Amino acid sequence: MKKKANNIKALLLVVIAAVTLEATAVVQFYFSQKGIQAEADMRAEGQLDATRNKIMDVINQTEAAVRNSVWIAQWCLDFPDSLSRVCQRIVEDNPVVAGSTVALVPGYRADRPLYAPYVCRSDADTLRFLSLATEQYDYPSQEWFTAPLAAGEGYWSEPYVDEGGGEMLMTTFSIPIRDKQGKFAAVITADISLDWLSELLGSMRVYPNAYCTMLSRGGHYLVHAPETAVTDTTRHYTYHATVERTGWAMAIVIPEDDIYGRLRQLGGIVGFLQLLGLAMIILMLRSFVRGQQRYQALDQKRQRIEGELHIATGIQMSMVPKTFPPFPERHDLDMAATIVPAKEVGGDLYDFFIRDEKLFFCVGDVSGKGVPAALVMAVTRTTFRNLSAQEDSPGRIVQAMNDNLSVMNDSNMFVTFFCGVLDLAGGSLRYCNAGHNPPRILTDAIRPLPVEPNLPLGVLRGFAYQEQETLFRHDDALFLYTDGLTEAENAVHQQFGEERMERALHGRKSAQAHLDNIKQQVADFVGDAPQSDDLTLLFIHYLSPAHHLSLQNDIRQISLLPAFVDETVRTFKLDESLSGSLNLALEEAVTNVMMYAYPAGTTGDISLDVSARSHAVTFTLTDAGKPFDPTRSKEVDITAGVEERPIGGLGIHLIRQIMDEVRYERRGEENVLLLTKKY
Amino acid sequence: MEVKIIQENGTVTAQLIGRLDTPASLEIAPQMNAVAEQAGGTVILDCTELSYISSSGLRIFLTLRKAAADKGGKVLVRGINNEIRTVFMMTGFLQLFEIQ
Repeated sequence: MKKKANNIKALLLVVIAAVTLEATAVVQFYFSQKGIQAEADMRAEGQLDATRNKIMDVINQTEAAVRNSVWIAQWCLDFPDSLSRVCQRIVEDNPVVAGSTVALVPGYRADRPLYAPYVCRSDADTLRFLSLATEQYDYPSQEWFTAPLAAGEGYWSEPYVDEGGGEMLMTTFSIPIRDKQGKFAAVITADISLDWLSELLGSMRVYPNAYCTMLSRGGHYLVHAPETAVTDTTRHYTYHATVERTGWAMAIVIPEDDIYGRLRQLGGIVGFLQLLGLAMIILMLRSFVRGQQRYQALDQKRQRIEGELHIATGIQMSMVPKTFPPFPERHDLDMAATIVPAKEVGGDLYDFFIRDEKLFFCVGDVSGKGVPAALVMAVTRTTFRNLSAQEDSPGRIVQAMNDNLSVMNDSNMFVTFFCGVLDLAGGSLRYCNAGHNPPRILTDAIRPLPVEPNLPLGVLRGFAYQEQETLFRHDDALFLYTDGLTEAENAVHQQFGEERMERALHGRKSAQAHLDNIKQQVADFVGDAPQSDDLTLLFIHYLSPAHHLSLQNDIRQISLLPAFVDETVRTFKLDESLSGSLNLALEEAVTNVMMYAYPAGTTGDISLDVSARSHAVTFTLTDAGKPFDPTRSKEVDITAGVEERPIGGLGIHLIRQIMDEVRYERRGEENVLLLTKKY
Repeated sequence: MEVKIIQENGTVTAQLIGRLDTPASLEIAPQMNAVAEQAGGTVILDCTELSYISSSGLRIFLTLRKAAADKGGKVLVRGINNEIRTVFMMTGFLQLFEIQ
């Protein structure tokens, strides 16, 4: 599923990238086109303007040359032979003028019905003097002659090919001349060659394939379009302008390709680059998606390994005793233990078991964390079990464990380890500490158990471990822990520390309640800071069998009393005949607690302790039920007859009869009944 | 704790064997209630093999005794040991029962 989703995501990215690139290109293309178009317009129009100005120069020169000669031609009308001189002046003085004539209106002069002297250039320096008054030419019917007379003003003729002169394309500017009476007498002209127009327009090369063309106002070509233009069907842009007075129209024709060719080329390159970019994006995405798939595969693998490790840790943890109370049938031992593993698999361990009325127990902490530590922990625990199955001396157990672990220890890992063997019958505790935190012994005070500075396990093969011994008295307790407790850190890197730990150990509680309390205090202290190390706690509360009996709120537990009483009688060397009555008094007291302090169906503990001073033994019965003082119940009248005798009330009566002193106290949340028997 | 009920010639004999502590009293209560039904006649409580009795046991004895008084029967207690005798003495039961 994930793979498919990734592919879709990648595809979407590609599409978005492609669309973005394309949109950018289109916008860019659009604005580029606009710019190029504006540029083309400017160039073409500029050229047209410049060209028109050049043409206008020639036109103006020509017109001026003719107009300036009008008055002299008028003056010469009376001397027709001098008219050729006027023409000669026009041609000589104006290089643009190719030829000039003053042609008399037919019949203006009777002596000369047709008269038109004509001067033109034969080459650069020489002039030819001709007459246009020939029969073949018939000048009075020519356009240059008739049109100005008809209009009464200057006139530019349609271009024509001069047949008499240089076979060139010509145009003529002519002005009618009036005599002093205002009558049209003649027409004065100047011819100009139009060959330079082709040259001028041909030089207007705004674009390589652009061309210019020019039409007269009558629709004749002054400058031809190239022959190819006729068959060219591609798109063209045309700019045109009109030359004043002559009415010539000129146009620049630019093939679209010339204007946009570069842009299209650029577009092609950009398109190619985009495709290349897109291809690269696709390649990158592909490798990214593959990388992710690889990462996912690796992650799954990692999760599987982690899962397996957790299962492995679970298996290891299941090897340590996990049922509490571990020895429910024993009333001389109240034990609890816990491991709170950190997130990583760790190397803490505890273990305990009873063999031959001896409690074997240990707590250890493997250096380091993770799988190696967990494996060493498993080995350590197994070694402990194997060795302690036959060996009673904790010193020798630790010694052998060290030798074992040192031999196998290629990875230079070590284990701090505390091993103890408690003789449950006599209370003697033998122990050996291999570099572990000293346990706390809880008597009337809380103090560290004195420990020899032995090396941790696995450091030095053959190290001679020192065994130690102490005597456990009734009600003493031993608290073992790993540094996960004292080194638990809160968010500001303060450690829980030994002081807090010892404070937390104060107060009389069951072993389990002690551990729950400490765990809670650590949790409160640490807050949200992550747990960095395993936390292992072991609490052993020793209750000498002759001194203590723990009972649950269950009437069947009454049957445990005889053995306890017998033990007490033996321990304190009491008269054996007392056991029956002591048993009776205790049974009555315990039954009262079960009946009245603990409401039916509730659970609760009843603790029975015995202590002796000279010639008196005191039983202390403690329960956490609701306040109940049996000494306040009414004394029963034992002399009453059958009918008057109440059924109940005999229990407390018997207790008073048997015991020498009966005292009740409410201590905090507990009922305490003290029963003293003197002997 | 064990109770053996023997009926012969209108006499019910309850033989109590073992320790009559609180749990044992709860255990034998139904049997002893059945015996109390027949308290109109003679009920013999044979304590020859009874080693211990607590107030719960004494209550059973007293209940039986009251039933006999109501129905006009009588209760004989037979073969109590010294310890039980002391308990009877402490509770005034020696005056309430006919001890054999």
